[in-house]
Amino acid sequence: MTRTRRTAAARIVAGVIATIGAFYLPALAGGSAVAYATCATVAIFSVMAYGTDLVLSYLGEVSLGHTIFWAGGGYVTAFIATRLAWNGWLTALATVVLAVLLATAVGLATLRTREFVFSLVTYAAAVVLMEIALNWSFVGGSDGITGIPRLTLPFGLGTYAGGTSTELWPVALVLLLLTVGFIDRFRRSRLGLAALMVQMQPDLAMTLGLDTRRVRLMVFVLSAPVSALAGWLYAYQRAYVGPDMFESYFLVVMLTAAVLSGRRVLLGPVVGTAVILTQQNLMSVGGDGDKIILGAVLAGVLIFWPQGLIGLWHFARHAVARWLWASR
Amino acid sequence: MNVAQQLINGTILAAGYACVAIGWTVLLGAARLVNFAHGQLYMLGAFIAWSAMHRAGVSYLVSVPVAVLAMAALGVVLQLAMRRLMLEQNLTSLMIVTLGFGYVVQGAAARIFGGNPQTLVSPLEGAIVRFGEIWFSWQDVLIVGVTLVLFAALWVVLKHTRLGATVRAVAEDPKLAQLFGLNPALTSAGVFVFEAATVAFAATLVAPRSPILTSMGFDEVILTFVVVVLGGIGSVGGTLLASLGLGMFTAFFGALVSPAYTTAAAFAVVLTVLVLRPGGLSVG
Repeated sequence: MTRTRRTAAARIVAGVIATIGAFYLPALAGGSAVAYATCATVAIFSVMAYGTDLVLSYLGEVSLGHTIFWAGGGYVTAFIATRLAWNGWLTALATVVLAVLLATAVGLATLRTREFVFSLVTYAAAVVLMEIALNWSFVGGSDGITGIPRLTLPFGLGTYAGGTSTELWPVALVLLLLTVGFIDRFRRSRLGLAALMVQMQPDLAMTLGLDTRRVRLMVFVLSAPVSALAGWLYAYQRAYVGPDMFESYFLVVMLTAAVLSGRRVLLGPVVGTAVILTQQNLMSVGGDGDKIILGAVLAGVLIFWPQGLIGLWHFARHAVARWLWASR
Repeated sequence: MNVAQQLINGTILAAGYACVAIGWTVLLGAARLVNFAHGQLYMLGAFIAWSAMHRAGVSYLVSVPVAVLAMAALGVVLQLAMRRLMLEQNLTSLMIVTLGFGYVVQGAAARIFGGNPQTLVSPLEGAIVRFGEIWFSWQDVLIVGVTLVLFAALWVVLKHTRLGATVRAVAEDPKLAQLFGLNPALTSAGVFVFEAATVAFAATLVAPRSPILTSMGFDEVILTFVVVVLGGIGSVGGTLLASLGLGMFTAFFGALVSPAYTTAAAFAVVLTVLVLRPGGLSVG
């Protein structure tokens, strides 16, 4: 067995153990409704954050427009599930289609923009869509869409159905695993490498014949269904969607989750989201206090410790190694 | 619809946008720094003036310099916190950091000033001028006048003084400016403090026109950002012109089509312009 094969096998074994551990996590944490709700929300918000992370880590751009896909996924799911009573597979499919269409439009509009102009245009697009959602009675206006039925996922033999966080937890976990797998695959793909080169060495990328705009557009379009599918499940979890899904709270959570562990860390957004939501759900100091903490963490990490939690981990490991070496 | 009235409304709106945008224009031009906390700084400036009037009992005239000085001091603190990132020219991180600051300011303001809408009362707001069917307040006159004076002063300083030359040199090429003995770090620090102070000043002028809320934040000034980018980064004249265009658009769209979709329509226009001309309107 070669070294890489052994590493791959070890990764799979570690992944399986982690998955089983994660599955029983809410049960281990007491099995209460709150434990399941927290775990399911962490999974859903992590998936949402992965969309922003993809653009931030691999393109080096700050997308302030991923609430579009998050809310778009929620809205299309709510609309179809309430009016047409389609099952979960079909609403998920509609979510992905809508996200790709929206992202292509926004991506083409931002094709020639960089840095803060890119951030502004993505934000502007989100503001436009929020105002439409707020005023258009077709999608419920400021009331949003209520009464979303339970999620039903028919398989050949039976149907998995769920409405509460406890019932939706397995779905959330599977969605998170698929997302992590997708990101891992992306990091090793040609597109992932091309994106990194376009970000780090734009001149070299051009010399090698990479089409910068195409790479940027593709990564952006790829990132949208990720956040949108999080919105898909969120709609079922809350049984309600409204214009509040465009709020900057979600944006700040996405960005904080993406930077807290350090950029380009595979499990970074999960760890980041878990830290944020644990604080807010279990150690809340009131809505405004939580805002102060979330904003301070976001700014503080980048100012004082840009390597994030992963940097802290490396630092601690080296410190221990040095100490062991010295004490020998 | 009364066209003359809408022209006046448009002018007043335009002056408000330009007044709030002035610090941002300079900051963006000189330091290429987007301050996403701009809206929260605007809110905080208005609330500091409000609490100076309501809690300390000073007059509107005194509350204005209080707010400006307090916000300038906050600008110094924020600038010190971002010093390293600014020297590294780490623009992505800086953008996210200011977003975080904005969130902190918003949470802190809600704790200090409460969640209820308040009114910053200016004695001039109630003084109405009427010409037949047309009307405006002396506060509106003040906003337009002060904005024009501010822009004229800024234009003179940037074009005809040594200070302005320094800011322009740093904006053009920080490294080259350093070779000529200028201090880019100090310059961008000064520009940042200028931004915080002017947005507070703008808040004390513009905020009396509508109720203030601690949650108003970024959305309150998002149109300002549009003005800054459309006018061409760092262009003083361009900002003024873009403000006028946007003010008129907002006034007439609100009167003719639909007030609810005004912001969305303004942004749709901006999106189109930026797609066609990513550098804004002023860039040849």
